[in-house]
Amino acid sequence: MLVLATMMAMSSLAAAPPSLVGKDAPDFVLKARDGKNLRLSEFRGQVVLVNFWARWAGDSRKEMPALDRINATYQRAGLVVLGVSVDDDVRRAGDFANSMAVSYPILFDLAGSTGRDYMIQKMPITFLVDRAGVVRYSNVGFKRGDENVYLDQIRELLRE
Amino acid sequence: MNFNSRVVSITLCAAVLSWAQIGPSLAEPPAPPAQSAAPAPGAAPAAAEAAPAADAAPAASAAEAQAPDAKSLDQEVQGLKKDVVELNKDLFVLEEELLFPANTQVAVFLSMDVGTFFALDAVTIKIDNKEVANHLYTAREADALLKGGVQRIYLGNQKVGKHELVAFFTGKGTVERDYRRGATLVFEKGVGAKYLELKITDRVAKHQPEFLVKDWE
Repeated sequence: MLVLATMMAMSSLAAAPPSLVGKDAPDFVLKARDGKNLRLSEFRGQVVLVNFWARWAGDSRKEMPALDRINATYQRAGLVVLGVSVDDDVRRAGDFANSMAVSYPILFDLAGSTGRDYMIQKMPITFLVDRAGVVRYSNVGFKRGDENVYLDQIRELLRE
Repeated sequence: MNFNSRVVSITLCAAVLSWAQIGPSLAEPPAPPAQSAAPAPGAAPAAAEAAPAADAAPAASAAEAQAPDAKSLDQEVQGLKKDVVELNKDLFVLEEELLFPANTQVAVFLSMDVGTFFALDAVTIKIDNKEVANHLYTAREADALLKGGVQRIYLGNQKVGKHELVAFFTGKGTVERDYRRGATLVFEKGVGAKYLELKITDRVAKHQPEFLVKDWE
């Protein structure tokens, strides 16, 4: 019982790093796949989903198409989806993003400073930032059905 | 505790103090008018008929009594907000003076004029071969510069004496061609604050952008 409780506590810690939720989302400006620079704070007033991904993280392959579907549905309602690659090889990360054929912006965190600001320890990890620029949810990893969790969180933030 | 945390703490303290003063006055119920509390014995039926009207009258007078309170409360809140803004400004100036005293302060500003031949993407600044600032520009930021905005891209401390500043400008030139240029300035840091300006202008005769570093004496 004690072991089970400990495991549950550990898993809940892994699912939601408490350090960023409820705090202002660290601002960043990164170069996108199309050559433009995007700054997070310029999307203030919209709900922003920031997804950190890497080629070598198997869950990213499952998560990115789901995020693309969410983006297609909720973009008009005020949702912005940003994919941030933490790969240090831009060319290969770009090729991977092209192969996933997602329509939302893919940014490259070459210096790794944005990943550090968001205290990323596992991949993929997805943060939901509300209209006021506060991190409201963080979700580590991705398995089938998790898009429904994202949808609930997104709908809640869009309603605010 | 950093600067922002201090400002937030001060704001919260001010708000708590304000509510501590205002709280008791809001908790007191408004005093009912004297005539409704003690009706004349002989006028009982008439008073009973007029009861709804008499009930409404104290409510209206209470609302009237509360209206000035609400107004003064609003004024007090506005006054507090103003005080907090003033305090924030003073703390900001104080922090800058402490962190960057005039005898070591060096500030670098960036401005852009016209920009027909150059679309700004990034600027990197090195002082004495050490990178001190690096900025990626979004379309909105570049637009703001083109509209006459001036950005303070670097504020730091440098010793008195001779220094070399190198600025690298990255962007797109004419016909969407990648463009990277550098500009260098050797400046003398004296005892006062030093202000330098990076200026991007169009050299119309050559159909090329020009990158200047200006020393504000």
